[in-house]
Amino acid sequence: MDQFFILRLLDLFQPLFEKLGIEYKTMRRILQVKLTMDQRRKPTVFQQSGNKKDKPEKNEFFKSLWIYALFGLMLIPFLFFKDTYLFQVSILFSIFMFIVMTTLISDFSSVLLDLRDKSVLSTKPVNSKTVSMAKLLHVTIYMLYITLAITLIPLIVSLFVKGFLFFLLLLGTFVLADIFIIAFTALLYLFILRFFDGEKLKDIINYVQIALSIAMMVGYQVVIRSFEFVDLTYQFDFSWWQLLLPPLWFGGLFDLLLGGRTATGIILLAAFAVIGPVVSIVVYLKMIPDFERNLQKLSSQSGKKKSSSRWKLLRSVPFFVSKAELQFFRFASRMMKNERDFKLKVYPSLGFAIVIPFVFMFNSYSWMTFEEFTASRNYMTIYSVLLVIPASVMMLAHSGSYKGSWVFQVAPVASLGIINKAALKAFLFQLFLPLYLLVSIVFSILFGVRIIDDLFAALIAALVYTVLCFLLGKKELAFSQPFDAVQKSGDISVFLLFLIIPILVGLHFLALTLPYGVIGYAIALFIINLVLWRKL
Amino acid sequence: MEVLSITDLRKSYGGKAVLTGVDLKVNKGEIIGYIGPNGAGKSTTVKLMLGLEGGYSGKIEIFGEDIATQGEGYKKRIGYIPETAEMYDSLTAQEYLTFVAELYGMDYDDADRKAKAMLEVFGMGDSYHSRISSFSKGMKQKTLIVSSFLHDPDLLFLDEPLTGLDANSVMVFKEILARFAAEGKTIFYSSHIMDVVEKISNRIVLLHGGYIVANGSFEELKSQSQEGTLENIFNQMTGFHEHQERAAEFVSIVKEG
Repeated sequence: MDQFFILRLLDLFQPLFEKLGIEYKTMRRILQVKLTMDQRRKPTVFQQSGNKKDKPEKNEFFKSLWIYALFGLMLIPFLFFKDTYLFQVSILFSIFMFIVMTTLISDFSSVLLDLRDKSVLSTKPVNSKTVSMAKLLHVTIYMLYITLAITLIPLIVSLFVKGFLFFLLLLGTFVLADIFIIAFTALLYLFILRFFDGEKLKDIINYVQIALSIAMMVGYQVVIRSFEFVDLTYQFDFSWWQLLLPPLWFGGLFDLLLGGRTATGIILLAAFAVIGPVVSIVVYLKMIPDFERNLQKLSSQSGKKKSSSRWKLLRSVPFFVSKAELQFFRFASRMMKNERDFKLKVYPSLGFAIVIPFVFMFNSYSWMTFEEFTASRNYMTIYSVLLVIPASVMMLAHSGSYKGSWVFQVAPVASLGIINKAALKAFLFQLFLPLYLLVSIVFSILFGVRIIDDLFAALIAALVYTVLCFLLGKKELAFSQPFDAVQKSGDISVFLLFLIIPILVGLHFLALTLPYGVIGYAIALFIINLVLWRKL
Repeated sequence: MEVLSITDLRKSYGGKAVLTGVDLKVNKGEIIGYIGPNGAGKSTTVKLMLGLEGGYSGKIEIFGEDIATQGEGYKKRIGYIPETAEMYDSLTAQEYLTFVAELYGMDYDDADRKAKAMLEVFGMGDSYHSRISSFSKGMKQKTLIVSSFLHDPDLLFLDEPLTGLDANSVMVFKEILARFAAEGKTIFYSSHIMDVVEKISNRIVLLHGGYIVANGSFEELKSQSQEGTLENIFNQMTGFHEHQERAAEFVSIVKEG
């Protein structure tokens, strides 16, 4: 096993861990094993999909880091603002914390809530504090890499633009923000684990993920609205609720230390920047045993599940799912419903898909009258719902019980393509369509029935987009791949797939300028749709 | 000397009672055959004893101390083969075994040397540096067996330990158990394969409906129930007589169009 640099770094803090009652040697060993396993691609049942056999040990994770570096470039413009520190730093941290937290809840929740270890680790004489800490550090290590990728270039720029002191403070506060985000998320999960049980718990965790995603989107808007644009500068009036917005804490800290502003509000915010992370991590450490104990609830099977009557509804739409597909469709729907890791990774993006169209809309609404607004083409933001598709399609290939997929090879299934087809349809029907309809209904109320044809065209575009995402991806059999501890939803392929959406929007806009354009656009898409689905 | 003592152990999952008052005492050097129908609560009992789950009522004492109050130190002297052969299978046998041994507080070099030698006994010396995911079922099971014995435990919980082993390895393993029991190690053996249980256990404990319905040596059970084999005793005590009817029904369903 390799020696990991990060572990040697960790050794420096050994006394600290021991003071917390953690068996450092054991924890280090667990981390070492976990990091080693992350580097290895797990073998899959289907060897034909595994043509990338045992590549040299290199964590896939590191290859996806450059995407974060790209995101990080967004921070740079704010370094050149001549306004108060409060404004620029707050915005900077809003973006930074947004990226880090979304990554954490969608990609690493499954590590925090992992149960697979239980039978290996808990049967050994290792205290739960040590196991929990190892888990937390496992996540933290990856979060630090991501943080580094996001902030490296902005940090270097800040060194030249703002000087050494600013650079140093920025570095320190990034770490503080990381600690706060991880501890806060872990505490939130702890809270849910404690107060809910069994099946309900599993659902609630997913709802919380959705809610968190939404809260972050909205929170970001609120941060910006805390500043009023007056005479070409941003004015800030302190009120108590702004203490609930962590990015403002860090803005306050910079304003106090570097800007020398000593208003009460600023001092309060600055104090929170330090107190928040420290308190959250201390509370979490105190609650660790509780966390482990309650985690067990996730594995308990309690209560019978009610069988859904939705299948009857489905039989009435045979054009959507063919008879041969029906069984796989049913199978895929149930897998999606029961697969905890799938839900942990996909549901946060559902939250975004609901909010993003409205966020885009309200940003432009702020400079329009209501009449102008309802007559505008802002409803085109409906296309942002499509953002949920690439990652979901990618996740469809994965399953916690991936080994079970041998049944497809043993059973006389004419073509494995039909399974993927059914899985994609199940995703569309079960997750995408309800979401899309919800947003569509709200849009129809806002913009009137005149946009129905557009909404319909966009829906067909979504179908085309779904199948494109699959065809351009790795085309692995549904539910046949294991979940890796570090899934890379910031994967380059997902990122490139996002770029198809603006193209679709562009085409739609083009169609709007032509007579009967939208209908033509819809028909053209429909034909493409038919052709593409046949390719599966 | 009492190694294990369970008093009035009860446990339920979401209102459904799984254990409804288990009482059991196990002495040093005994091999206990722990049997019962599917869902009788065998695995639950073992999980509770290992501290994998909490939320029970009653008392579990291992090595004379209540496990609810003494922390996880007692696990140092326990070896465990789980029923689901869960392992970190992207590791090699060497990496996994040394890792587990170190969790038990062993020194890396000792563990490394011992693990390799033990696998060689099972004819797996060549696979020591291969990944567990490439192993066959039997090889995985052998690796699990080694991982549970590596730290020289005094009490062993074995859940279907023979799964996937070939006949020769089964003979070796049974002999290993007999020798360890003679040396004073206590073995808690749960399995559905009745003739193995019949042969290796000094005492058989039958769990049914959440409590113990029979507890004694094979001879004692035989005299109680006037049945010839443990399988028959099992059927009788769990109130199961219609195996022929069930089989006939199954066959006829298969034949239906």
